[in-house]
Amino acid sequence: MSRFITEVMHILNQADLNVILLLGIIVFFGTFGGRLFQVLKIPQVVGYITVGIILGLSGIRFINLSILNALQPFNAFALGLIGFMIGGELEISTLRKFGKQFTYILLMESLGAFFFVSLFISILGYILYGNLPFAVSLGLLMGAIASATAPAATTDVLWENKTKGPLTTTVLGIVAMDDGVALLLFAFASSIASSLLGKTDAGVVLSILRLVYEIGVAVLLGVLIGFILNKIIRNFNDEDKILAFSLGALLLLIGLAQVLEVDMILGAMSMGFYISNYAPKRSEETFNLVGKFTPPIYVLFFVLVGAKLNIANISIIVGILAVVFLFGRLLGKALGATLGASLSKAPLGVRKYLPFCLLSQAGVAIGLSIVAGQTFKGSVGDVIIMVVTTTTFVVQIAGPPFVKYAVTKAGEVGLNITEEDLIKKSKADDIADRSIPHIRETDNITKILNLFSERDNFYYPVVDKDEKLVGIVSIDHLKDTFIASELSDYLLAYDIMEPVICTCTPDTEATEIRNDLKRFDIQSMPMVDKEGRVLGMIENRGLQQLFSRRIAQLQMKAKTLEDS
Amino acid sequence: MNLKDIIKPEHCIILTSRTKTEALLELIDLVKSGGEISDIEDLKKEIFFREQLMSTGIGQGIGIPHVRFEGVQHPVILVGISPEGIADYGSMDEKPVNIVFLFIVGKEQHKEYLRLLSLISSRVKDENFRNILIKTEESSEIARLLSDGETR
Repeated sequence: MSRFITEVMHILNQADLNVILLLGIIVFFGTFGGRLFQVLKIPQVVGYITVGIILGLSGIRFINLSILNALQPFNAFALGLIGFMIGGELEISTLRKFGKQFTYILLMESLGAFFFVSLFISILGYILYGNLPFAVSLGLLMGAIASATAPAATTDVLWENKTKGPLTTTVLGIVAMDDGVALLLFAFASSIASSLLGKTDAGVVLSILRLVYEIGVAVLLGVLIGFILNKIIRNFNDEDKILAFSLGALLLLIGLAQVLEVDMILGAMSMGFYISNYAPKRSEETFNLVGKFTPPIYVLFFVLVGAKLNIANISIIVGILAVVFLFGRLLGKALGATLGASLSKAPLGVRKYLPFCLLSQAGVAIGLSIVAGQTFKGSVGDVIIMVVTTTTFVVQIAGPPFVKYAVTKAGEVGLNITEEDLIKKSKADDIADRSIPHIRETDNITKILNLFSERDNFYYPVVDKDEKLVGIVSIDHLKDTFIASELSDYLLAYDIMEPVICTCTPDTEATEIRNDLKRFDIQSMPMVDKEGRVLGMIENRGLQQLFSRRIAQLQMKAKTLEDS
Repeated sequence: MNLKDIIKPEHCIILTSRTKTEALLELIDLVKSGGEISDIEDLKKEIFFREQLMSTGIGQGIGIPHVRFEGVQHPVILVGISPEGIADYGSMDEKPVNIVFLFIVGKEQHKEYLRLLSLISSRVKDENFRNILIKTEESSEIARLLSDGETR
């Protein structure tokens, strides 16, 4: 056995030469982990990250630093996709409607986290190191980093649970935009820290200009490429080409953003935002197609996030700072979000549950900590990198379950559902009309006519004396009996019923029923028990009505959540 | 649809049986085995099952046993006249049945089936006509009378 493991490890160690094999292992096992966690009712993204931790630097080190570097481009691709999809979900009308809410909450929760983390870390830093300028610099920089929130893991939970409603809208808006605020705060903190630590500094003005460039050019780039893409795919009906062109445009954008050193997520978001708002109907298909393409990229991204985390770097001091950072950030985000939501009179669900959705941190936080590490070489930079890596580890794991808890409590789970989703989730028992009267085979036409006149159904099951299904009376066949209306009292259900072509049991999947209705070209299907006794009736036309009505109900529910 | 094409002389008889069961069997015997109706035993079962559900004696001395049978392409109507009447037919009006029309149509021939039933029932609505039919002594006359009535 041990020999076998050695052999396997040997083969695996050679795998870093083969990127395709690597991707295969990562996506395959990542997806497997996600599914496993999903079964355990934990968001799938935690499963991906856990698989990453096991395979990565904290685990068996199958994914080592060189592999991580080699696969770096995929992270950019994943973040670009996420940005693009979020941009696609933001509508101008939503922004108008929630603009005030977004602004208040965004400012409050970012500044809240910035304030508390800065304060606590400064105090703790002073106690630990006894050096005030050092402590305050550390505090401000970490405060700025604390304000960032990662969209990736959060939105993955939202999409996994098909949420819809004010909390979902707010979370999407906030997590997408607070990168901008974090960058701004970081620029500010960075320039103060520079002067405190006596470093020659580029100056506040230059930092701000740099920031304007990073954000402004990103947005312009996104709009520009969105514009071009829109022009090109306007004349396409072919799904394959739309998908290929969209991904091509997105990759182009991500690459250019990297070359120009501007914020890639914001760029991708602008592109998505532009397309979805400029041509809402037509772009729906684009987002559908790209959305279907994203899962493996996401899995890859999150496994790599997990693989990157290295538990071995955590010392006691780092541990203490991390705990304080987490606490201050949580407190600041929670207070800020609640205050912002109350001031802007956000719906109840947002006020109560938004704080739970702002925990996740990832790329931007780690990115900023690395910038800090490079700008402030020596202890400040090192401490920041280690603390932020540690806290990111914690919030990546803890964040998604909290998001799930929040959206569940706010009642937004499953409201963003399509007819297709509903059918996939339904069984015969959910869609059958159990109240349908059974026609006996000995009932005469006069009696059946009365039944049809009293009810809306077009198809009724015919049963024998043992309640067993023997046929179906349809409105068409009943209509034909007018030909022999003088015999209405002498003709029985038995004489005019149609044979049963196909039945289902309560456990039959709705998808299967829909396929059978189509395959046999029939309009109804009785639901029976094991002995063939009738339990209910499914009508094709009722099926359509039922699903559109349920969708409408869910949309109504999402709407009422907005008004609460 | 023409009764002339459907009611064949060889499918019409003067019944000798005095009971319902025998009369129906006598009629079914007119159907040749093979062809569109492959399983005569099955046909019998179906017809008697239907009679069990409810008698097809619709009153005024008329019985219309009928069955939709797998494989039948061309509807068949068997006609039996019982001058003495079949007392155990179980008619609505509890009177003996003198004229029996036995319908055999295809499983899918729902409309044709109703049309034929309607045609026949309106054809025998006239009491004088019924009396002429009952008094017929030659079975070959029966088909002629029924289809003549159509053009008249």
